[in-house]
Amino acid sequence: MRAGPSRVAEIIVALLVPPACREEVTGDLHERYRSPLRYAAEALQTVPLLILSRMRSVTDPQLLLLQAFVFYICFLGADKLNGGAVLRDAWGLVRCAIPAVMALLGLVLADTYSNPAPRPPHPARSPLAGVLIAAASQGLLAIGRPEVAIPRLTLLYGCGMSLLLSSSIRLWFPPFLRPVSPGQWMQQAAEARDKGLSGTAAALAAVGIGILLLLVMAIAAK
Amino acid sequence: MAASDALGQFEQVVLTAILALREDAYGVTIHAKAQELAHPKAVSLGAVYVTLDRLEDKGFVSSWLTDPTPERGGRAKRCYRVEALGERALEESAATAKRIFDTIAQVWGKQWARQWGKRWRKETG
Repeated sequence: MRAGPSRVAEIIVALLVPPACREEVTGDLHERYRSPLRYAAEALQTVPLLILSRMRSVTDPQLLLLQAFVFYICFLGADKLNGGAVLRDAWGLVRCAIPAVMALLGLVLADTYSNPAPRPPHPARSPLAGVLIAAASQGLLAIGRPEVAIPRLTLLYGCGMSLLLSSSIRLWFPPFLRPVSPGQWMQQAAEARDKGLSGTAAALAAVGIGILLLLVMAIAAK
Repeated sequence: MAASDALGQFEQVVLTAILALREDAYGVTIHAKAQELAHPKAVSLGAVYVTLDRLEDKGFVSSWLTDPTPERGGRAKRCYRVEALGERALEESAATAKRIFDTIAQVWGKQWARQWGKRWRKETG
């Protein structure tokens, strides 16, 4: 019988490899197996590159910028709704940026690890992962550095608004998740082309949402 | 050809490997062939996957999954094929390489070209 990697090692590698390329990559690593050490070295060399490559494939820079803007505005707006205690602080803008950055990181990671086959994931799935990571990071900050964390109610409002707005954006501008088969990929590309959604439309939507949120904040301030 | 459609050096290597392997072009074999083509430079498996991903995004290659095999722990292979766009890009790269070679040979003379040819044959066996 041909020697292969241990079941545990294969499971760990399979969990780290994004699902879109899991099947072929774990198979290739299994086929190239010579020793446990070499298997581990090859997996360590390959997996980070695969994650970065998948991130590049699923991330539209314009859409990402729009999402970042929305997350930040949501946490700023949430603080305003909650009395503006964070923004009165000298580092208030930075403190509000922390959950926004974490939410964006969670969103990108959820997209990287989502499998577009047999059908694209729900539009709220990645935003939900993003706000959960933002909430978890704030929980950790509240334990370790409470002066940097934002108040619980602000976090709750911010996460709620972020989830709502980010999911809406993804309904209008679905992220580019390349499915497994080329036929599906071509179909998705054709559908996107037919809808005529462009970077300009995304930018206009960003400005629109920004104005809307500023209006909400102004009303709430009164 | 648009600038984004132009082939980088490693993309040329991977595309040539797929072309040479015909029906048997998948991760492991492409990596082995790319290593042979890029000799003496070392090629990592991860770099091959990244390049394959990029080539597929550009529409230069297409891929499909085969049936699972026991020697791969019951997992499928992802096989690759060069598409018409990829063939055109590769032709363009080969023509550029030929023009570069001819120009160098013209400047450095026939003696250099003969010596280079001998060295090349020796290296490639």
